[in-house]
Amino acid sequence: MAYRVMIVDDSRSMRAFVRRVMDLSGFEVESCDYAANGAEALALLNQQPVDIILTDINMPEMNGEDFVRQLAQVDGLRSIPVVVISTDATENRIRRMLELGAKGYVVKPFSPEALRAELERVLELENA
Amino acid sequence: MPETPIAEALFAAAGDVLETMFFSPVVGEATPEAPPSEPALTARLSFSGGRSGSFAVRVSAGAADTITANFLGEEIDVPEPGQVRDVICELANMICGSVLSRLDREAHFDLQHPEVVETCGASPPGAVCRIFDLENGQVALCLQLDPAA
Repeated sequence: MAYRVMIVDDSRSMRAFVRRVMDLSGFEVESCDYAANGAEALALLNQQPVDIILTDINMPEMNGEDFVRQLAQVDGLRSIPVVVISTDATENRIRRMLELGAKGYVVKPFSPEALRAELERVLELENA
Repeated sequence: MPETPIAEALFAAAGDVLETMFFSPVVGEATPEAPPSEPALTARLSFSGGRSGSFAVRVSAGAADTITANFLGEEIDVPEPGQVRDVICELANMICGSVLSRLDREAHFDLQHPEVVETCGASPPGAVCRIFDLENGQVALCLQLDPAA
């Protein structure tokens, strides 16, 4: 099954890397939208929902925490699973993002296999 | 904080990040007496939280091009300067996050956005610096922690 994906990261290079790693891992992508911060992502999602969102935390304008928090308040969008991708491996941060509504968390650096495993785990949870 | 745990964290983070995300494994640690002789690019960021301070990554030109091409996965010999700067900033962000997480898994850190800076290569006072050899160049890392409050 192929999925509609959104990658939210202020780094163009990181967005390209995540997209490439999904291909390398064998994760099937039907379409991929990109946003540079949470505000841009919310605007895009209102036009075209996706199956799963991958987001950074540290972004200008609207960071990942505010994005996940606001997403959870929007009817029709709150059900979209969010996987956080971050360099921050501290337990407090991971717990906080999950409490805000994120369903998964991948710490950089990560392998293609690790990313795919987390995406599939989250999607299986949603479809259970 | 003693230098040894920081040095160990720099070594572990450099190896992990460079190999996993940039497909550029560390092949050894260079001596500080032998700094990179070719032109280099430096990205620096500051951080706050559990501890505050700054972190810098200095990458020799050849290694910077290779790291960028590996990260972007593009079949290009010489990436655009903007691509190289973007990727080296991402490298700085990732290694800094990895180092700080290794030094304190409980603390919370806020990392500022890395910026490419002009530098003469001198390390800030009190910084712990290490230089690592890659297949076609070097990466130097410097972590400077502010005195604990």
